[in-house]
Amino acid sequence: MSCETIEELLSPYLDDELSPEEKKTVEDHLESCPSCSELLSFMRDTRASLADFPEIELSESLLGRIHAFPSQRKKFRFSLDFFPRPSLQPLLAAATIVMVMFSLYYFNPNKSSINKTINRQVNLGYSQMEKLYAKAESFSDNLGAYKNNLLISLKNINPFGGNED
Amino acid sequence: MLVNAYSKRIFNMAYQFTGTYQEAEDMTQEIFLKLYTSLTKYDFEKNFDAWLLTLTRNYLIDNYRKTKWEKKTRDDFNEHYLRADLSFSPEAGIVAKENRRFIWKGLNQLSSEVRMTVILRDIQGKKYDEIAEIMDLPLGTIKSRVNRGRIQLAKILRQEKEKKDVM
Repeated sequence: MSCETIEELLSPYLDDELSPEEKKTVEDHLESCPSCSELLSFMRDTRASLADFPEIELSESLLGRIHAFPSQRKKFRFSLDFFPRPSLQPLLAAATIVMVMFSLYYFNPNKSSINKTINRQVNLGYSQMEKLYAKAESFSDNLGAYKNNLLISLKNINPFGGNED
Repeated sequence: MLVNAYSKRIFNMAYQFTGTYQEAEDMTQEIFLKLYTSLTKYDFEKNFDAWLLTLTRNYLIDNYRKTKWEKKTRDDFNEHYLRADLSFSPEAGIVAKENRRFIWKGLNQLSSEVRMTVILRDIQGKKYDEIAEIMDLPLGTIKSRVNRGRIQLAKILRQEKEKKDVM
């Protein structure tokens, strides 16, 4: 078996994960190949060195910063959670539309012509209101006249058909 | 509670991966910030350790890809580790101490994925199936990466020894 193939089996060999047959193949190769045998020895040293790395303690300042996160986050979340509430969505949508309309008006280069159009429309609306009001007044006068005529007519009715004298 | 239980493990994993103390401190802080914002997504039926290590691994590797730490050098092994363990006393084998120093330096020559796999297996002592869950990869890929990482580190160790013998 080639050294490349044996290399693939060295780690499982160290972890004792090979079948008895594979283990024997590796051991036979190692006996006859000083290079692979040396590599395995260095792999053993490597594994032992990695396993020997001690754990380092955290600095007090880092611990303090990490401990402070939950309280900081509560304040942060409050302001963020406020906006995505479903109940506020129609209000936010309406506010967005208003803001878009306002920005379209406010930042429009033809703002003065828009102002003129708005003024014209307002004046037009005002004069139409006046006309309506005048019509309503004449209608009210007509109604008064109809009422008087009706009352006179009712007064002149003689249900029994008798002589007026 | 979370901080007391997991901060040391996360910091050490970040230090083993990045190789610089300052970077590891920054990463640990960021990982905890991410942990607090992601806790709502945690499925209580799943193993919390594996979930947290997956989050840590994702953060470290993603950040590594963005910042390319491989160009940076690692802290000198003795700078922090010597203070951390009393077994590093003069009585402890000189050869073993030297090996640790070479291996520590050699970790920077492994690709981020292989380095993370070796850290989880040989430093953190995780089982292969646990690593497969954390890395979200097939078991065979994990075993192959561990083998590749160990061989690379062993060759680095051999090279360093040869250099030293020549000197």
